[in-house]
Amino acid sequence: MNKMLLLTKSHFRKNKGTSVGLVSLMLIAAMLLSLSLVVLFDAYPMARKEAERLDSGDGFFRISEGIDGLTDEKIEEIIEDDVSRYYIYRCLNYITQVPFADGTITANAQIYDDRAFSKEMGNSEIVTEDTSITSDYIYLPYQFYTSGGVDVGDQFVLEIQGKKYDLTVRGFLTTPYFGCNNSGSYEFVLDDDTYSGMVSVDGAPECILVIYELKDGVEESRFGIRVNNDIVTVAPYVNFQQMPVESVISNRTFISLIIVISFLVLSGVVLLVVLFMLTSSISNYIRENIKMLGALKAIGYTSSDIRVSVTLLFLMLSCIGAIGGIVLSYALLPFFAQMSIAQMGIPYSISFLPVPTLIVFSSIVLFTAIVVSVVLIRISKIEPIVALRSGIESHSFRKNHVRLDKTSMGLDMSLAMKTMFFNIKQNIITFIVVGIMVFLCTLGLLMYENFSVHPKVDMLTFEYCGGIAAFDHETAEDAREFLEEQEGVSNVRNMIMVYFYYGDEDKLMTYVIDDLSALNNVNVCFEGRLPLYDNEIAVSGKFASAHGIKVGDTIPMSYGDETFDYLITGFIQTTNNGGKEAYMSARAASRITDLSNAPAYYYFDTETETEEEVDRILTKCEDKYGEHMISKMNFYGIIAGSLTTFKSVATTMLVSMCVISVLVILLVMFLLVKALILNKRKDYGIFKAIGFTSGNLVLQTALSFTPSIVISVILSSILSYCYANKFMNLIMGAFGIVKSRFDIPIPGVVMIAIGMILISFLLAIFESRKVKRIEAYTLLVAE
Amino acid sequence: MNNIIETKKLCKTYSTGGVQQHVLRNIDLEIRKGDFTILMGPSGAGKSTLLYALSGMDKPTLGEIRFCDEDITKKNSDQLALFRRKHCGFVFQQTYLVDSMSVMDNVLSAGFLADNDRKSVITKAREVLKSVDLDEELWDKFPTQISGGEAQRAGIARALINKPDMVFADEPTGALNSKTGKDVLDALTRFNKDGQSIIMVTHDIVSARRGNRILYLKDGEIAGELDLGRYVSGDKERHTALRDFLGGMGW
Ligand SMILES: Nc1ncnc2c1ncn2[C@@H]1O[C@H](COP(=O)(O)OP(=O)(O)OP(=O)(O)O)[C@@H](O)[C@H]1O
Ligand SMILES: [Mg+2]
Repeated sequence: MNKMLLLTKSHFRKNKGTSVGLVSLMLIAAMLLSLSLVVLFDAYPMARKEAERLDSGDGFFRISEGIDGLTDEKIEEIIEDDVSRYYIYRCLNYITQVPFADGTITANAQIYDDRAFSKEMGNSEIVTEDTSITSDYIYLPYQFYTSGGVDVGDQFVLEIQGKKYDLTVRGFLTTPYFGCNNSGSYEFVLDDDTYSGMVSVDGAPECILVIYELKDGVEESRFGIRVNNDIVTVAPYVNFQQMPVESVISNRTFISLIIVISFLVLSGVVLLVVLFMLTSSISNYIRENIKMLGALKAIGYTSSDIRVSVTLLFLMLSCIGAIGGIVLSYALLPFFAQMSIAQMGIPYSISFLPVPTLIVFSSIVLFTAIVVSVVLIRISKIEPIVALRSGIESHSFRKNHVRLDKTSMGLDMSLAMKTMFFNIKQNIITFIVVGIMVFLCTLGLLMYENFSVHPKVDMLTFEYCGGIAAFDHETAEDAREFLEEQEGVSNVRNMIMVYFYYGDEDKLMTYVIDDLSALNNVNVCFEGRLPLYDNEIAVSGKFASAHGIKVGDTIPMSYGDETFDYLITGFIQTTNNGGKEAYMSARAASRITDLSNAPAYYYFDTETETEEEVDRILTKCEDKYGEHMISKMNFYGIIAGSLTTFKSVATTMLVSMCVISVLVILLVMFLLVKALILNKRKDYGIFKAIGFTSGNLVLQTALSFTPSIVISVILSSILSYCYANKFMNLIMGAFGIVKSRFDIPIPGVVMIAIGMILISFLLAIFESRKVKRIEAYTLLVAE
Repeated sequence: MNNIIETKKLCKTYSTGGVQQHVLRNIDLEIRKGDFTILMGPSGAGKSTLLYALSGMDKPTLGEIRFCDEDITKKNSDQLALFRRKHCGFVFQQTYLVDSMSVMDNVLSAGFLADNDRKSVITKAREVLKSVDLDEELWDKFPTQISGGEAQRAGIARALINKPDMVFADEPTGALNSKTGKDVLDALTRFNKDGQSIIMVTHDIVSARRGNRILYLKDGEIAGELDLGRYVSGDKERHTALRDFLGGMGW
């Protein structure tokens, strides 16, 4: 063992720079892997853990509007057979816009008093509070703190039924169901006085919440459908909404999953680079030291002795890299974990996680061990005698690339091309690595562009517009005319959402639209077309694949007692409602439901696309229709508010991708140029002797990598441009997006390409400066 | 101006592990234009050290070297490289051709350094390769595919393509047998006849005979000097004079 360590030490001394380069690469891989695993194992499950901790049960349903005749006893009677536990309470429910980060968000607000903190199921808990605030206060979901930019003691205006309440933020709460803007509902807890004042208002928007835990074997969606039907028989005009805890969790964890997937992909890529560099470094090592290895064999070391000693070196390096990477990941963790957890709005503190850490450590070390031992098989092929004569194994040149008497390139360029052919394997590595990095940067750019710069709203919502104004059925027609008369307002369309049922198996959130051709979001349909006639429907791809439905099939949809067989004209993609949505025209919907008493939700666009303009129009409507206007929504405000977290995640992704790309290319260049100079040091010595300056040789070395860099960048830019969306489909498929149409800004791609070429070239120049240290003279007398 | 190189109080000292070794001691030397100067001396005397100092490949510790009226001791390594590509040609003991390039490309790579006119460089390369008796069929071969003597002549061709002011040769025949060594010496002699100045280090009296001025280096100093006439083959007296001179030096 002693002699092994001795050998290992000597290997290390001979390869210090290379070792440092390899360690750094392994460190980056370990860091990324560790970050993604910690987020995956710890931050990502937080939503589920929190739900379990707060005893969420299996889901909740909310019954609102027209609940007068509905007693708790009646509800108990309806659900009893299917649930093992339940908790029923009444509070206020109102859809309103509240300030959030840079804008506003639409909150489906559950408003309650401090009984919220003593629910028997699905309880809420205070995270922080300032008890010195004693009146007119509000507790907000913790997400308002983590990503909404609100702090304890801040003023907060809550607008309910046109009345504004000025409140002070007393604290933040954590809740299993109502804490995250991705899942749509927020719980606001008020002081008793304010709350009782709100409730006592005539027509206060009261609702019933039922949190339930299902008996074994009861299927969630069937249960919901049955309960809904039973309740409608008692209270026909209720609005019934069911939300399984699983949907809430997946909505809450959407962002952290994106982070995890991105980082896993990234660490996989870096591991691939590690594989390349290990292979190339070991091959170099063998070539450089073939004499020494032969001598070792000659004096009686066996191949396996040598193999073990080399493997030992690389294992040590991988241990250092893995540990360093893990340490670094914990240093960066507060930032990345908070980013993914901020979105969930769950209090979270980082702790050391033995399992992911162990996985990272062992996978890096194991990976290295496998690669090294495979590559080292070559050592046993070294015959001592051949090795001792050395040089024999070196290149056998057959083809004369770039003949100087034939080429029209300059001397430095043509010698660089010769070097490139000499170094073709390393150039292939450069080609691949640079190409992958360009692809990653393009993905980063894509996220940045589509989530941050020009948010791709159509990916996140079924329809985008300037604003929405909703009116009760009495004023609906008049209001439409009024709205259409407004200057700058265009494309008014009525769209309401209704749950339609697919037998008793499933239900679809159905957008019922008066004129489907007026929709802005044409991308929503990814196969077939949107419905035109009154017997047609378009359903989400996720729903279709769950039931094995194809375009052209007919499916029975029902509402209450009415059923009709609709023809499926196309599939739509959606991330909302668990991916179960449908589109149909108002005439088609009227086959199974009477819409004449339904309120109208008018979506409209404005000529000036600003929040102020939309506000102006909404206020005008409000002034005219007062209570008959039942809801309003300013789309531009919502975008600003609800995309805050997406924006910061997207920006971070772009920055991470670019930083990691530059680091990886730096290290790869470092290792490759180092190896090249080592291989060519004799040639470079000769060149210096006959009068080449260091500058010539630096330029030649750097130029020799340029073609592979340039070709790779150009090719991969084009490929990334064409295929980034396809790749996103793979990732986003899980969220219901089947055919993404993200924009990839060409100037950005060009900038990445030029930047990548410049950076790689400058790095190559930078690394090549080492040729300065080669002295022609030492070469001449050393031999 | 008859002297290409002049040195004043040229010293070179190596210090290894605190021990100082004075390899060259106060050498005052003039190398004349057109001469075939031979540098001889016992092993370790400092011949190579002197040669590489004169050629600007290595820097002396003290003293001055004037080469074509430029003080090359003041130049940095890149300036020296630029200087070498114009003024110096090298022939080494090992062939030191670039293994990854063909014979032709080895010669051209030096040629293009000093001259941008592609056509004229290619013509010069062909001429110089012919003048060292390398047949055209060898030009596209790689250094590992030709014999040591051929490779050394290719090296001479590379050294001479730019018609340098001085060719420095460090034991160019040291690794060759007498027949191939003779071809190399013949080539050098021919160039010298055409006016090429050459300095050559050698251990071998047969090679030394080619020169017209013999310098004997011993313990870092020029211990003696002999002027021979121009080389004519089969000159018996010349051989005797040289042997006597070397004998006197303790060779
Ligand atoms: N880089 C160096 N560092 C230390 N000492 C050196 C160095 N180069 C040469 N020497 C020493 O300087 C002395 C002269 O070396 P040099 O190579 O000039 O001798 P030489 O006359 O060419 O010998 P030979 O005939 O064997 O080639 C030797 O003793 C050698 O050990
Ligand atoms: Mg010598």
